[in-house]
Amino acid sequence: MNDIVTIKGLKYGLQLTFAKGASFDDVQANLLNKLESGDSFFIRGTTVFVPKGYFAEDQNEALRRMFHRHGMLFSTELKRPNLAPPSCDTVKTPAQKSKAKVEDAQKMMVINRTIRGGQEVKANCSVLICGNVNPGAQIIAGGSIDIRGTCRGFVHAGAFGDKTACVVADRLMPAQIRIADLIARAPDEDVKASQAERAMIRNNMIIFEPVAR
Amino acid sequence: MSQILVITSGKGGVGKTTTTANIGVGLAMRGHKVALIDTDTGLRNLDLLLGLENRILYDLVDVTSGRVAYKKALVRHKKFENLYLLPTSQVKDKSAVNPEQLVTLCAEMKKEFDFIIIDCPAGIEQGFKTAIAAADTAIVVTMPEISAVRDADKIIGELGRADKENVKLIVNRIRPQMVEKGDMLDMGDIDEILSVACIGQVPDDENVVVATNRGEPVITMNGSTAGQAYKNIVARICGENVPFLKPQKEGFFARLKKLFGLL
Repeated sequence: MNDIVTIKGLKYGLQLTFAKGASFDDVQANLLNKLESGDSFFIRGTTVFVPKGYFAEDQNEALRRMFHRHGMLFSTELKRPNLAPPSCDTVKTPAQKSKAKVEDAQKMMVINRTIRGGQEVKANCSVLICGNVNPGAQIIAGGSIDIRGTCRGFVHAGAFGDKTACVVADRLMPAQIRIADLIARAPDEDVKASQAERAMIRNNMIIFEPVAR
Repeated sequence: MSQILVITSGKGGVGKTTTTANIGVGLAMRGHKVALIDTDTGLRNLDLLLGLENRILYDLVDVTSGRVAYKKALVRHKKFENLYLLPTSQVKDKSAVNPEQLVTLCAEMKKEFDFIIIDCPAGIEQGFKTAIAAADTAIVVTMPEISAVRDADKIIGELGRADKENVKLIVNRIRPQMVEKGDMLDMGDIDEILSVACIGQVPDDENVVVATNRGEPVITMNGSTAGQAYKNIVARICGENVPFLKPQKEGFFARLKKLFGLL
């Protein structure tokens, strides 16, 4: 018998594909049946991928709720789910950016390692990095950024437009720094930061000022 | 306990293959049984540096595809009897070997050898992923130059992602005069960015080129500064505590002689 729903295991979760001509109600009933049968496929915390645009938005929403009730994540995009704590979802699309809540900026993501060239940290909330941010690395945060180490990479605080966001580092010498919609870049000649500094917006300009740590 | 090392760098031309050959020879000189595996399929060089090109019968691709046993493909070094090379193919490309095959091969070879050293290709693609798959220690080679340091940083990040936490650093081709004048990154600058344990600082040495062309690694040449640096690296790999070489400054007379071409 040809199943209405086919499940394929992927590195980051389960990919669902559907038999041709199966209606949404059939699919939903079939999935619910599978979920309630306690199939070992459906482990809590697993991400389930459904091809984008296969169902209408409200139907996807119904599926999302159904999977959430069973402790699973639902996604229409095939990519690795964010490893950050669930309270700090990654910035996905510009459309979602506007939805980001103000409270997110109050939360904080803690990263206990050095961010090396080519690595990227994105968070809706504030970010605390216990380590260095190396040249070529990117940190983008909805809130503020605190670096307990040397910052030589690219940092963007207040990515949703929060002008009160700031960037603090033991040695703040980023290649480029953005706060809200303002951009500043490092001077062309090498400047060594000798003490902890904070970058913030004042009079519509990004300024650096020393801080005590 | 046998060890599997991978020599990698990200950037090309910083001296991965040279380092592999020298560490291999150095360990063999100390009496360890060593196998060198070249994974730079399609651009193999390690055989040239060891002067073994004309002795190759089978290659890594023959072994991983199951055509011959690995022992048949090993080439014994002409001078150092406990040094073996497993060359790779010059006609295939990187896709010919996959990570699982190399892991299986290394697990088998581990029973026979004290050290297995894998020479990694440049880049961070398939070839790199294959080369690092089996290793338990990664040695990252870099040069005192921002592009090489940047790539080394990226590579260390990639190694971390692949759960290779045991990472060591070798800084190659240091020119003490330039460092002194501030024209070249010094060890402090490099350490600040990479912050991994450094096991070697190799000075730039003309003898390396001579040795490469002769097919005799520089570690076998007495009186070469790079050779001495490699000997120290080998000692550190064996767990000895050796101080780093003092940067040799060119004396006034040496510089004067050079100026008049009297060398």
